[in-house]
Amino acid sequence: MFLRLLISGLVLGGIYSLIALGYSLIYKASGLMSFVQGDVMTLGAYLGLTFYRILGLPFVVSLILTVLCAFAFGMLLEKGVIRVLLNKNVLPIYVVLATIAISYIIQNGVQLGWGSITQYFPSVFSKSSVKVLSVSVQPEALLCVGASLVCMVLLHFFMTRTRFGTAMRAAAMDPTAAYSCGINVSMSTGITWGLSAGLAAIAGMLIGPMYGVYALLGSMIGSKGFSGAVIGGYGNMYGAMVGGILLGLAEVFVTGYISSTYKNLIAYILLITFLFLKPTGLFNERAIQDD
Amino acid sequence: MQKSLANNSLGKKLIAPIAILLALGMPLYVRGAEYPLMLACIIQLYVVAVSGLDILFGYCGQISLGHAAFYAIGAYGSAILHNNFGLPILFTMFVAATLAALVGAVLAIPASKLVFHFLSLATVAFGEIVYQFIVHSPGGITKDFNGIFSARLSIFGFEFSTYRLWYYFGLACVIVFLTAKYFLVHSKTGRAFTAIRENSHAANGMGINVRKYKVMAFATSAFYTAFAGAMYIHLVGYVHPDTFLRKQSVLFLTMLLFGGTGSLTGPILGVISVELLIESLRVLQDYQGFVYGILLLIVIVALPGGLFGGFKNVWNLLAGRLGKRRGGAGAC
Repeated sequence: MFLRLLISGLVLGGIYSLIALGYSLIYKASGLMSFVQGDVMTLGAYLGLTFYRILGLPFVVSLILTVLCAFAFGMLLEKGVIRVLLNKNVLPIYVVLATIAISYIIQNGVQLGWGSITQYFPSVFSKSSVKVLSVSVQPEALLCVGASLVCMVLLHFFMTRTRFGTAMRAAAMDPTAAYSCGINVSMSTGITWGLSAGLAAIAGMLIGPMYGVYALLGSMIGSKGFSGAVIGGYGNMYGAMVGGILLGLAEVFVTGYISSTYKNLIAYILLITFLFLKPTGLFNERAIQDD
Repeated sequence: MQKSLANNSLGKKLIAPIAILLALGMPLYVRGAEYPLMLACIIQLYVVAVSGLDILFGYCGQISLGHAAFYAIGAYGSAILHNNFGLPILFTMFVAATLAALVGAVLAIPASKLVFHFLSLATVAFGEIVYQFIVHSPGGITKDFNGIFSARLSIFGFEFSTYRLWYYFGLACVIVFLTAKYFLVHSKTGRAFTAIRENSHAANGMGINVRKYKVMAFATSAFYTAFAGAMYIHLVGYVHPDTFLRKQSVLFLTMLLFGGTGSLTGPILGVISVELLIESLRVLQDYQGFVYGILLLIVIVALPGGLFGGFKNVWNLLAGRLGKRRGGAGAC
């Protein structure tokens, strides 16, 4: 029981982490909040489905194509909508509302494109279960945990060890100073939005084989992802990873040991508790100024 | 003297809203126009709800993406009080709205230290928590996923059995709530709200108790929106919990931003335009949500000042052109 819950907690936690990472990256880079992350995940799942099941490409190739598409989508979103709004100096609420409008477009658009029934995402491996310490697990679950860990490690190295990642962190820290050092700030903000969309799309492709693919797949996970980001400390990359995994574990263990009635409540109670009592999160990120 | 001045400008400010709402009553004069009449009633209760949100966002500058929760507390509160305890409906509406105001105040005490984005997250979480409580209520008091039925509005035994009769009740509510809003925003409290919106640190420096006024704004706003929720259930007679998803909160905000914030007329224009837009998109059937999203995005990107602001811009542009032309002619 414990091991089974632990694994499904890690699976869910990995997904939440990838979504929360997107929120944190965007907030750090542009001080904005995107409500579209969960729906980009849905879009990623549908794109993955198209490449993998309908076009019959190998899984890895479909994954790469999906991530590239999502990356382009994220950049386009930043350049085409967010940047336009920011240049107009509008109230920040319009940016929030614009991302919500885009999430409506995705939710309804995928239904028009792929139909409103839940789509079957074919399994990635030929085996239907593998044994992990005497517990049989879906191999896709292990893939999900593994892939999300790999993503986090890669992201860590990208941000700290490459010139580009350093430039992005500089641009996030102080745009004016970074600009005067010759960093293309606008480009790096665009890439941040692209990266966040890419991470969400990976999450969508990983969760597809386990949950099936439907239009509202990401909408709940997207808003719970906020909880993961806040638990870790909003804007902190490592906080988002840890917060997401903690959230996944908390949800699964409470459901398993206490009751499944309030399964969907846990994330929001954690979110509101952290906001009220420890708004800087576990990693003490000073993103949330007191007023 | 002071008072008569206030009354005069109040009269002027209320003329436009009342004229619009009377115009909305057009279906009253046509026989058999039940559907447009119901739409007019829905618009009235949305005006009350969005005006409430305007007090919070337009005047006090505090964002809420969880107003559907107050709307739900009003609807369910009034329905449960009426169904289970047999209390008279108008009374239950006020009790439910007061309850929502208390909940709003309790939420606002810790939330008042959060700024913009994080306040919106806290209100999203609050909205979801209330929704989850409705669909998994202790003892099934809200009938969970089945939705809840309640009686149509009746006051002192007089039953508002048709939309036509209900329309007059709605009109009275709108007038009362808008008048109250007018007096609120033109009082010391209203000025404190505006000061907090413009710069909360400066407001604090001037001796305004920022937290207290934020709590007041939340409570008042919750009262308005919850009352609208109670109006809704006693108009339609039934609500389903999915009426109170985050979509509804976003709808309130969309209506407010469409019409323009911080005015009496703004929420009315916003409610009417968005409601008519949604109704006219119904012909598109499957494409309805998709087209709505696209239109919403276009309006946000193209007209961030709302329809009201957009009209104003067009007006200024035209006036400027005309002025120039006239000036040019004069020079010739």
